[in-house]
Amino acid sequence: MFAQITSIISMNIRSIPQRFWMSLATVVAVAVVVAVLLAFLAMANGFRTTLQGSGSDELAILLRTGSQAEINSVLMREQINVVSESPGIARDEQGPLISPELYLIVDGKKKDSQIKANLPFRGIDERGLELRPNMRIVQGRMFEPGKNEIVVGEAIQREFSGFEVGNTIQLGRAQWQVVGVFSAGGSIFDSELWADVRTVQNQFERGNTVQIVRAKLTTPGDVTAIEETIKSDQRLNLDVKTEKAFYQEQSQGVSDLIFYLGWPLAIAMALGALAGALNTMYNSVAQRSGEIATLRAIGFPGLPVFFGTLFESLVLALLGGLLGAVAAYLFFDGLTTSTLGSSFTQVVFRFDMNADVLLNGVILALVIGFIGGFFPALRAARLPVLLAFAAAA
Amino acid sequence: MSDLYLVSKNIARNKLRLVLNTFAIIIAFLLFGVLGSINNAFNAGIELSADDRLVVVNKINFTQPLPLSYVEKIRAVEGVKQATHANWFGAYVEGSKIFFAGFAVDPATYLDVYADYLTVESTQRQNWQQNRQGVLIGEKLAQTFGWKMGDRIPISSNIFSNMDGSHVWDMVVEGIFTGAESQADTNYLLFHYKYFIETQTFGSDWVGWIVLNTTDPSLNDQVANAIDEQFANSFHETETSSEKQFNKSFLEQLGSIGLIITSVVAAAFFTLLLIVGNSMALAIRERTREIAVLKTLGFSAKHVFRLVLSESLLLAALGGILGLLLAQVLVQGISQAPQIKNMLPNLVLTSDIFIQAVVYIVVLGLITGIVPAYRAMQLNIVDALSRR
Repeated sequence: MFAQITSIISMNIRSIPQRFWMSLATVVAVAVVVAVLLAFLAMANGFRTTLQGSGSDELAILLRTGSQAEINSVLMREQINVVSESPGIARDEQGPLISPELYLIVDGKKKDSQIKANLPFRGIDERGLELRPNMRIVQGRMFEPGKNEIVVGEAIQREFSGFEVGNTIQLGRAQWQVVGVFSAGGSIFDSELWADVRTVQNQFERGNTVQIVRAKLTTPGDVTAIEETIKSDQRLNLDVKTEKAFYQEQSQGVSDLIFYLGWPLAIAMALGALAGALNTMYNSVAQRSGEIATLRAIGFPGLPVFFGTLFESLVLALLGGLLGAVAAYLFFDGLTTSTLGSSFTQVVFRFDMNADVLLNGVILALVIGFIGGFFPALRAARLPVLLAFAAAA
Repeated sequence: MSDLYLVSKNIARNKLRLVLNTFAIIIAFLLFGVLGSINNAFNAGIELSADDRLVVVNKINFTQPLPLSYVEKIRAVEGVKQATHANWFGAYVEGSKIFFAGFAVDPATYLDVYADYLTVESTQRQNWQQNRQGVLIGEKLAQTFGWKMGDRIPISSNIFSNMDGSHVWDMVVEGIFTGAESQADTNYLLFHYKYFIETQTFGSDWVGWIVLNTTDPSLNDQVANAIDEQFANSFHETETSSEKQFNKSFLEQLGSIGLIITSVVAAAFFTLLLIVGNSMALAIRERTREIAVLKTLGFSAKHVFRLVLSESLLLAALGGILGLLLAQVLVQGISQAPQIKNMLPNLVLTSDIFIQAVVYIVVLGLITGIVPAYRAMQLNIVDALSRR
């Protein structure tokens, strides 16, 4: 039986060149569908990786209640003083490990398209830098407090024009000198401009206010002590969450959108490709009806005939799936792009095509191949011998 | 025997193939209809923007404030017909996760500047102007929340704090505005600037942006330059652009939506061409003998060409129209979802898309039919009949 199945499968596959154009059409159709799906999934995955790589469990982020994004939040000096004494926030000899940060939006221009885009401009102090151990200067030096100096993230320098070290740029009324480029390990901070918090407060008339406070937690992941403090004090209308949870929420919307746009599109297109696959396979069965009838007449049971057709379809679909995956990988993987994140600012991210994403593409191809082969295979296996001969004649 | 009868017999000859091909075409046109509508909805802000409307924002970025005093100064600039201002509010209803746009505006002038875009009944308009806590609700927004005239509604802000310590502003629905065109965005609300600025805690006498009409669109550049020059080297420098440019540059920040959508539709049509084209070729090849018989009976070569081409056109039309109808149903369905209303308030399948689709149907029919039709036309009767 097994020998019968393998011999019929190999017969089927060797007969593919007889239906070259139709088979090729199926392969290409499946390849296109898989490539489209993979492009969307890689985009969703890349966006998620960038944002989730940004958040740490060791830090808490404090925002004004209900503000959800850094840009919407505002905190007064008094609130910061009160909350920084809260249990749950780590301290060292200089006091609580907190970083009040100013966050505002400035305009930049994309290098490739010259499109004006919103860039996040973060005011930060030395403590803030201490709280981000994964951040390092890769070119030039760090800004000096009190001076109009900025350092820019790697992604900003790559994607937007005018941020070379040594350049002077106008942000607001003042001129700022770019003194360094930093890397934050592919996280969202790579898409930011940083400067000394007090200098930014002065230049942008922000008084003593900031947007958010980052704080080092005594126990990683545990913000309950800070929540207690907030609840017990009327002045503190704040939300607190771990940095990790914060960026997880931020990534959810956009990556869900891409994900839920990608799958229905791919499924709709897969249905179209399925129609093509069914067409091809029914045609294959019709073309080989004489051959099938002969096999049945000399004693082959229906099952090997069934598997022969099913496998032919699976092979075509798999070929298409691999072709689509390779094409998508070569074309999209690592491609950088940017979109608006939830703070209304550009987030630069890469298409990230990992094994999971590729596997999804191959599975989709196999599903098309399976359904596209199953029904024609059923017809082949049930073909009455006499009718088949008549049809072939 | 009419040609149509022949063509329809031929097309329905292999029922299964007809169903599969029609299905593939339906899918492609469904995608075209839905994605085309989405693309249009993204671009509607650009399409519907008025030629004579300019937007003045802070030069640093449009999220930075401008002083209220600029409004009067801008009104005095030559070529400015009227000007108004607005503040972004970041509105939502406590308890729901649905965010929507809310603007704190100058009730006396805002509707005049947008006269071509928004329509409000005149008594509603007066009532709204007279009630400090009055709010005008867009038609689509009113539908989402079931708000009616006279309702007292608490609106929260995700940006601002009320002086009473909350984030909630109580408002009274004094009117419901509609868009002048079906694609116009009406998923937002308008309330009084004074009510907003006097109760929020972030400074005073500042506005988000200023909108103005020029007396003539040809003066746009001149007016824009005059405004920006006037405020150059001040603490709040301005950047003035046409509404169209402003909307466009905002949209571009989201990424290449148009490119992505075009690529997906192109990919869908490409696979469709492969599938249907091959299938048509096969169908005609299978009928070689029949075509030879037709020719023997005296059908001219041109007539045979026409018959085959009509067959592929009919197939494309059948699938294409069904696909578009399905797209229409789907677009109407999804445009009712609150999340979509918020993100794509202008989602409708417009007649442009329909016309484009009809063009594609014809093109598809011609491309898939032309080679088989040509072969059928060239077919040599003797060869064909002797072939097995």
